[in-house]
Amino acid sequence: MTAIQVDDLTKQFGEVAANDGVTFDVESGEIFGYLGPNGAGKTTTIRLLLGLLKPTSGTAHVLGADIRDRKALTATKADIGYLPDTLGFDGRLTGHQTLDYFARLHGDERREELLELFDPPLDRAVETYSEGNRRMLGIVQAFMHDPKLVIMDEPTAGLDPLKQDRLHLFIEEERQAGKTLFFSSHTLSEVQRVCDRVGIIRNGRIVAHEEIETLLTQSGKEVWVHLAEPVNEKQFVTDEMIDVEVVENAVHFTYTGHIQGLLEHLVQFDNQDLEIGNPQLDTIFKHYYREEDTIPET
Amino acid sequence: MTAILHNEARQLRRSSLILAGAFAVIAAFFLAVFPAMQEEAELIADAYPEYMIVLLGVEELHTIEGFSAGYIYPMLWILFGGIYFAYVGGGMIAGDIRSRKMDLTLSNPVSRESVIAQKVGALWFPLVVLNAALMLIVYGGAAILGESFDLEALLMVHLLSVPYLLVCAGIGLVLSVLLDRAGQAQVMGLGLVFILWLIDGISLLDADYEWVGDLTPSRYYNVNDILVHAEYDFGDASILLVAFLTLVLMATFLFVRRDI
Repeated sequence: MTAIQVDDLTKQFGEVAANDGVTFDVESGEIFGYLGPNGAGKTTTIRLLLGLLKPTSGTAHVLGADIRDRKALTATKADIGYLPDTLGFDGRLTGHQTLDYFARLHGDERREELLELFDPPLDRAVETYSEGNRRMLGIVQAFMHDPKLVIMDEPTAGLDPLKQDRLHLFIEEERQAGKTLFFSSHTLSEVQRVCDRVGIIRNGRIVAHEEIETLLTQSGKEVWVHLAEPVNEKQFVTDEMIDVEVVENAVHFTYTGHIQGLLEHLVQFDNQDLEIGNPQLDTIFKHYYREEDTIPET
Repeated sequence: MTAILHNEARQLRRSSLILAGAFAVIAAFFLAVFPAMQEEAELIADAYPEYMIVLLGVEELHTIEGFSAGYIYPMLWILFGGIYFAYVGGGMIAGDIRSRKMDLTLSNPVSRESVIAQKVGALWFPLVVLNAALMLIVYGGAAILGESFDLEALLMVHLLSVPYLLVCAGIGLVLSVLLDRAGQAQVMGLGLVFILWLIDGISLLDADYEWVGDLTPSRYYNVNDILVHAEYDFGDASILLVAFLTLVLMATFLFVRRDI
């Protein structure tokens, strides 16, 4: 079953298309990473999915509800948890009062269990909270009614590394329990670590939508070669090599062709050392952004 | 589901109590001068320029009811009370959208219609607290001065003020849905209520323009009729209630269609 189905979703703010024909789907029971730099349109997609914004054209279905059908979407929200990027809590309430408030709005059967993992100082007013504590309170709020789908916008922002690990572990456990997790991030390593599939958005458009593994395979191999003598770039570099960096005897590049071809090419040189591996998502990510160096800051 | 209603009412607690305290202090000042004015009531009424008499609706100043209808209620209730409710209405939506509090609210299984209904419902708290406070102050103050205030008239002047105050809140609410900043909506709301109050008073000065005042809410809440003449115009109160409901519907119509 599909938890989220996005079809040609477009949102214009005046002249600017914050989302431009965005299409992707999130399967039930997977962790989906929604990746892109700040201003790419991630938050716009999320706010469209929650019915906070109205699409200019196209639509999406969240747990079967059409986002243009306000009534259906409102009813569905009982099964959705949401962790926004900016947490608009009422600062004068304490953590306890805040959770009591959300408990009345959507239930809290898992509150205690979550507070053992994420423990903001509940007796203090939220306005005195650090960024990390606000985030933890947001996590408890998003999961405490045991929703089927949790939408998280930059969930680890402000969390210390220990709590980040804890969150990653927690959402993997949730996935095993059958939950669907939608997860936006500009932190590549965390998406690579926890997500099953990924959608990459750039300037409001989806530029990649696949399994992490496929993305890594399709993105070629990361290669380091050490030659016995200084590299002659003209001789060495072929069309299949991108991101080539040469430092004296060493070359580092991403190889986009077949491995067999690479090996046949390399035997012509006096190789001292060779390393071939999967590229980091960071490297892949760079490709999607490099084509247009002038990414507008929004 | 009344979680939002409770939370909003709690937020109005402090400002309502502070305003009730301020009312007590100002009303005490007014009441303190009543005995002196009572003796000179006719002289004072004569000395006033015509427009002040019309603007404040000064009649029967030598009675505690007439004095309250001429000074205390126009100032404290129609003007300050109206301004407070317009201010509260102006803070209902715009501020929550800007602080992203509305994102969290609407991520719950609660419709936008319900959000507005609950926020408006939370006005029960200031309505009860301020009405009770002012009633007690006026009745108690009169008793201290050895006057006995007509209790029925007092109850009616407060009961019939509720639709008026709700209209003021409704004006703020519509602005709060239209504008992006709570501060703007609040200032425009209270400014508008003040201007409407002025228009109501000034239009009475010229028979040709008196109809303009028919477009102002305070025209439909006449404290002199209630306190001095014991005339209770439920028709006017109904007009105000209809206006209030229209404003709430308008705000809801706009709110469900706008981006957050």
